[in-house]
Amino acid sequence: MRFRWKKEVPYLLFLVPAFIVYTVLIMWPLVQAFGLSFTDWKGYTMEGLNFVGLKNYIKIFGDKEMVYAIKNTIVYAIFNPLFVTVLAVPLAVILNSKMKTKNFQRAAFFFPSVPSALILGYLWSYIMSPLDYGVLNRLVTAMGLEPVLWLAHPKVALFSVILVSVWNVLGWHACIYIAQLQGIPEDLFEAARIDGATTLQMFFRITLPLLRPAMATSVMLLLINALKIFDLPFALTGGGPGYSTTMLSQVIIQRGFVDKMYGRSMAAAILFCIFVVAVTVVQRKAAKED
Amino acid sequence: MGFSWKRVRNITGEAVMLLICCIFLLPFYYLVVNTFKNQQEASSAPMALPETISLDNYVKAFDSMNFFRSFGNSLLITAISVAVIVLFGAMAAYPVARRKHKVYKGILLYFLLGYMVPAQTIMIPLYLTLQKMHLLNSIWGLVVIYSSWCNFALFLYQGFFGSVPEELEESAKIDGCGPWKSFWLITFPLLRPVTATIVIFEVMWIWNDFLYPYLFLSSNKSFTLVMQVYKGVGQFSNDWGMMMATMVIVLIPVLVFYLFMQKNIVAGITSGSVKG
Repeated sequence: MRFRWKKEVPYLLFLVPAFIVYTVLIMWPLVQAFGLSFTDWKGYTMEGLNFVGLKNYIKIFGDKEMVYAIKNTIVYAIFNPLFVTVLAVPLAVILNSKMKTKNFQRAAFFFPSVPSALILGYLWSYIMSPLDYGVLNRLVTAMGLEPVLWLAHPKVALFSVILVSVWNVLGWHACIYIAQLQGIPEDLFEAARIDGATTLQMFFRITLPLLRPAMATSVMLLLINALKIFDLPFALTGGGPGYSTTMLSQVIIQRGFVDKMYGRSMAAAILFCIFVVAVTVVQRKAAKED
Repeated sequence: MGFSWKRVRNITGEAVMLLICCIFLLPFYYLVVNTFKNQQEASSAPMALPETISLDNYVKAFDSMNFFRSFGNSLLITAISVAVIVLFGAMAAYPVARRKHKVYKGILLYFLLGYMVPAQTIMIPLYLTLQKMHLLNSIWGLVVIYSSWCNFALFLYQGFFGSVPEELEESAKIDGCGPWKSFWLITFPLLRPVTATIVIFEVMWIWNDFLYPYLFLSSNKSFTLVMQVYKGVGQFSNDWGMMMATMVIVLIPVLVFYLFMQKNIVAGITSGSVKG
């Protein structure tokens, strides 16, 4: 097909504004970040810039905090999607059944997804506090157990972050499943019931397989958002104690904006980007083959 | 209807679910109820209802946070960014969806390329860009940055075009109506359902965003509401009664938005392709 400029120009004009902002504010910065990650750039000016090859990339793996952050982010990106999915599917099935207060319940479970994660993080930092007003420990001690250092113990803190994050997004993801459930014809269950299937059998043999497209969407969103996580641990633990809940986003910001190690920060940012894109592509492929 | 075990089981099930709902919302109860207490009362009985309702925390919070200024900032940033996103996104989707030449496929691919780029990857170069434009510490700098989120709008619009009949546009063309006029007068109004979805989700993301305001805003007069919470925690971390009041104040606009938009939010998620 020949491209007839005269005919297409009026249409190409429609693309101009989006093309400009997208190119200037996403693609060009990406190219810049990529280029500068191979240099010893010190900020301010582009003069006296030296090409240092892969030095910045190699240094990432000698940077203790970055290695911790990579590990934490991976742990978080495994368990947050896992827990959310395991809880959201049954929750969606329940919220899709015939109940009088169904709408209220959906609204209630969804609500924690609405406010900024920063505020929710601060709120939970009060709830999980070891001080008197930390109600979670009051509950724990009321049950006759030892109080837990939810946010101050290096082994527990990451678990606490995951716990709050699950609470945060559970309703949203249940909603994705409800959407799909509504498309499953009731006859399928009727037929199964006549054949003598139990509720559990129907869940595993009918509902779960039919929910696979929704699961592909939900898990992909969970994974990508988990890799990018910043606000919630920032507010809840500030990355501590030590580096036990420091996430990759936080350490990239720390190295770039605070420590002025621009090269290393951007090298990590580029690796991070490649990782996010790879996960998305692999996930998409897997979902398509399904 | 007589007594039946099935009914008993359904009612019990529903009661259990309602209880779980309440536990789920307990953190918000805790937040609100403690804003009315003084420090001592909140320490001794954090989950109890307040003995007397004191608004001291709200008065202090309100005085320290420059509410109207920050609310105005959040509102301006969100409203203008979302308007730009909708306009740019819808416009760009039009030729991509309607023109058959493969050039447009290439353009769509180009837009897709950057869709997965995390904000954290480009933030340092963006900082430089804003610095050059003298838009650091300005709400307009944020508007400029958020406008690039129009590629999300582009994809959603592009996917929806298939269900908008082309006949109207064609008959307008025969009547001598150019693409520009025909787009705004005929096509754009028909895109309203997706426009609603895009507006709602972009409003939620931009209003709640912390990363960009944290990186690019540095003075109290340009802060958004979310930034006021961050600043407050830094300054008054010990006075948590007041901090909780600050959070409640910041949550109120979001709550109002949610109450009005709940149906559309759910519809948006269920229509698919909206990231979380």
